[in-house]
Amino acid sequence: MSTSQFDVIVVGAGHAGVEACMASARLGLKTLMVTSNLKRIAYMSCNPSIGGLAKGHMVRELDVLGGQMGIAADETCIQYKRLNASKGPAVRGTRVQNDKHLYSMFQAQALKSQKNLSLLEGEVKKLILQGDLCIGVILQDGAEIFSKSVVITTGTFMNGVMHVGLRQEPGGRVGDSASMGLSDQLASFGFEVKRLKTGTPARLLRDSIDWSKTTPQAGDEKIYPFSFRSENKLKLPQILCYLTRTTEKTHEIIRKNLDKSPMFCGIIEGVGPRYCPSIEDKVTRFVDRISHQSFLEPEGLSTDLIYLQGISTSLPEDVQDAFLKTIPGLENVKVARYGYAVEYDYIEPTQIWHRLETRTIRQLYLAGQINGTSGYEEAAVQGFVAGINAAHSILGREELVFDRDKAYIGVLIDDLVTKGTREPYRMFTSRAEHRLVLREDNTIDRLGELSHKLGLVTSEAYDILNRLQDRRKYLLSRLRAEKVYPTKEVQAKLATFPTPALTKSLSFEELLRRPEVSPSHLELLGFEVDPDPNVHEPVEIEVKYSGYVKRQLELIEQSKRLESLKLPEWLKYSEIRGLSNEERDKLETIKPRTLGQAQRISGVNPSAIQAIMIHLKGHNKVKEMEVEQSGTGSVGSMLAHR
Amino acid sequence: MTRGDRDRDTICAVSTPHGVGGISVIRVSGPRSLLAVSELCAFVPKTPESHRVFHGILKSADGLEEIDDVVVTYFKEGRSFTGEEVLEVSCHGSPVICQNILNELVNLKVRPADRGEFSYRAFMNGRIDLVQAESILSLIESQSQQAARLALRQLKGSVSKKLELVEDDMTWILAHAEAGIDFSTEGIDVVDDIEVLRRLESLDVVLSELIATFKAGRVLKDGLRVVLTGSPNVGKSSLLNSFLEDDRAIVTDIAGTTRDVIDGDTSFKGLKLTFTDTAGLRDDSTDIVEKMGIQRSRQATGESDEVFFVFDLEQGLLPEERAILDSLNPAQTFILGNKLDKLSEEPLKKSFFQTLLDSKFFKKLDDPDAFIKRRLFFVSALDRKMRSEVLESLLQEYVDLKKENSVLISNTRHWENLSKALENTRRTKDVVRQGLGHEFVAFELKDALISIQETLGKRFDDQIMDRVFKEFCIGK
Repeated sequence: MSTSQFDVIVVGAGHAGVEACMASARLGLKTLMVTSNLKRIAYMSCNPSIGGLAKGHMVRELDVLGGQMGIAADETCIQYKRLNASKGPAVRGTRVQNDKHLYSMFQAQALKSQKNLSLLEGEVKKLILQGDLCIGVILQDGAEIFSKSVVITTGTFMNGVMHVGLRQEPGGRVGDSASMGLSDQLASFGFEVKRLKTGTPARLLRDSIDWSKTTPQAGDEKIYPFSFRSENKLKLPQILCYLTRTTEKTHEIIRKNLDKSPMFCGIIEGVGPRYCPSIEDKVTRFVDRISHQSFLEPEGLSTDLIYLQGISTSLPEDVQDAFLKTIPGLENVKVARYGYAVEYDYIEPTQIWHRLETRTIRQLYLAGQINGTSGYEEAAVQGFVAGINAAHSILGREELVFDRDKAYIGVLIDDLVTKGTREPYRMFTSRAEHRLVLREDNTIDRLGELSHKLGLVTSEAYDILNRLQDRRKYLLSRLRAEKVYPTKEVQAKLATFPTPALTKSLSFEELLRRPEVSPSHLELLGFEVDPDPNVHEPVEIEVKYSGYVKRQLELIEQSKRLESLKLPEWLKYSEIRGLSNEERDKLETIKPRTLGQAQRISGVNPSAIQAIMIHLKGHNKVKEMEVEQSGTGSVGSMLAHR
Repeated sequence: MTRGDRDRDTICAVSTPHGVGGISVIRVSGPRSLLAVSELCAFVPKTPESHRVFHGILKSADGLEEIDDVVVTYFKEGRSFTGEEVLEVSCHGSPVICQNILNELVNLKVRPADRGEFSYRAFMNGRIDLVQAESILSLIESQSQQAARLALRQLKGSVSKKLELVEDDMTWILAHAEAGIDFSTEGIDVVDDIEVLRRLESLDVVLSELIATFKAGRVLKDGLRVVLTGSPNVGKSSLLNSFLEDDRAIVTDIAGTTRDVIDGDTSFKGLKLTFTDTAGLRDDSTDIVEKMGIQRSRQATGESDEVFFVFDLEQGLLPEERAILDSLNPAQTFILGNKLDKLSEEPLKKSFFQTLLDSKFFKKLDDPDAFIKRRLFFVSALDRKMRSEVLESLLQEYVDLKKENSVLISNTRHWENLSKALENTRRTKDVVRQGLGHEFVAFELKDALISIQETLGKRFDDQIMDRVFKEFCIGK
């Protein structure tokens, strides 16, 4: 066999591929990215925006760890919004609209200027295996490229089929052909390959829209960039989005034409996301709703294309034309690209480890939609984890796995590999059981240290991170140490906030804990607050919600007990009494790392966890008994007293 | 007694879950099990074949009372679960019947089994290995689905139906809370706080009612703990002896004779009653031992189901006694005016009533007439009917003996789960009222939901999100 030409090959240049090859190359490994279209690096195939609830959290996590997405989103932001700003701190999420062309350019530039990284246009047809080890790829032209690891991030391209009405054609995205062969080969290795579906709405021409019939929606004034490395200001001019709504007439046309929808004729087998239904779905499932909202989102500063949020469809072109014209503002609309659905292959993600390496083939990593996820952010974080782990295994370093209480990334991957997925998996804040401590504002506190260990962030950037953390700590320590006394002057000021008078002296921390008291109030009392919201907001949140944070931490502590019980690889579930066949099968397939993970497998009941625990305990006990035969009968008396 | 001796005892216990169910199984294991069961079940042959089933009437040992129509299964030594001679008596699933049979067995010197003792014996006799022993024990004790299912059998249909409604309501609120968080940008109509509070309020009521039935359920299962309290030398110890039908406590005329807590068990109408006599409460005691005793009596009072407050009718209610009385919870207090035998003058009773009417204690009562009727007695330790009169009234407070099959919660785990769910429901209400935000609502209520699902033997999974997608039109 020939020697490896590369350390890591990344197949695909989407949001997962970009993070994977950047991570690997930044760790000093010779990395190759192979993509079928070099003009569409980090392309936004669907909506032109990054972030959102729970997704914004992941972008920030990725950024602290040294990923690309956050910076690219900040640099090309054309509208900034903090979602749920009026809600509690844990569920606020950042979302930005992006100039999708500039976003792609920015990422392409980053790849091109990255040391150790080569880019190649071509289609990967096959993997080269040596036993159960993946050692390279074969391109369409038959060329073989050898490597020590391969990361596959093919998105919706594997056996992709696009549907418009009853017409279908192979393809992963308009303008790009599907990637054939790879998933057949994976299936032949024994992987369970399944089908998913997703869809995208029509793109409209700006000038054909009567904007006066829509409601403009501006972004926020105050911004909190994704990246701690970004300057606190926006580089590009900011745009408006516009709100409109479907009408009863729209719904009527759609209902009349359902027989032309591939979804409703059973042509599409793949399962679509429930959280992102097509307009056909919406009008049939929610018959009572007379209208659905839709945002008109410009795809960039220098493009005429408008993204029609909320109206994904796979109805034929003429039907799309007809129903669009019933929407206020779109009476004379011209469609640049019709909506369509795409069906594609994914690998049931219970077949991969937390490090995103497949269980059956070593040095083969999967990330992004191939694992059944949906969304740029979900893809990006997986790409990053796969890239790091591919590199780490070559470097002989420890694998990178996130706990569920440390990062949304951990929740995402643990859910995938533990539960698998039947629909495209999107992150929600409600998936994180430790949501109250997984906030956007405390990302650097959660992951700063790990980031330093990973070493992807430059030391200058790491200094920024450190300084930020130090300022937070300093502010908190002053809040604790400095006191406010019930003088006449203070009481008078408190009355104006208004907040109840003091009965005794309080620390500023205690005062800030009152819901109605804000940092600016403390300033009025002569307490100097760090003016940077990135410093004082997280501190204020920690103080205000300390009761809940504490309880959440206690729950984490409790769950840690099961999490810390590692399940040995030699464990044979067939030998454990008290497991149902279903439980046994699932445990054998998923091979949980810890008892905590075992507990999250759906279909594995608490009694099974008990049984495993007893089995393991039994093993240890028997050993103990053999050691101290004199034994004082401790086991027996223990049992008797239970 | 050494461990070895205990291991040769014949033991018995109800091996099906406690409470009201279809049938209950009483397991008897040990060398004397056939002998003992045969005393009650004359229809079981002297030398039965192993694994055979016999059917007939189980009678009290004296043969006077028919207790239940039962099925008895015989397992020979070496061929049973424990490895010992075992008989399993399947009787009708009533706690009272079970208790009666157990009482009969106990009278025949069969000892109630310790927790897990059958498994322990099986392990010691080499019938199961350690892993199995532990797994059986743990499964019994676990909050597992299996255990929950078993325990669920005793939750009669209406209770689990009620709980399913509770589950449904909680899921509904949670779905709205989560939709309000994760899909806040999609213009969906999420419920307002007033509706959430209304639903939480009704959850509170349902849970509280269910929890309240535990009082009766637990009493049927575990019996009732009663503490005698009052000033020194009002005759608590004599009363204790009467209740226990035994001379347990030393009785003298010297105030402060009882210096520590004295316990004793008795049985009344098939229910176990544990009586505790305490050192008389007085603040002026200089005796250290007595002082410690007083402290412990206060503690015992706190741990009991009921307090029998005893005073001496001859002396009336002294100011310090009134103080003690005022500190008690009227819902858990019986007042026993003692030494009726020595009482010659009616006016004493009257003056007592006046003092009582003026007391803070009395003002706390919801229904003074009912209290006087059911919880106030003028007694004499010498009166032979005293015991049954007082205890009858006591039992009425807990169990409607005529309605023995009414729905109640008797499983401690269920009770704990429901209490936790109630606590979380109440916290959720606070969170909503304070306007803290949906994620805090979810934080509290999810805990409550998990407790309910554990009780129902379900697993907490993705039902909240499933509900979100069912109820709301979501999708950008």
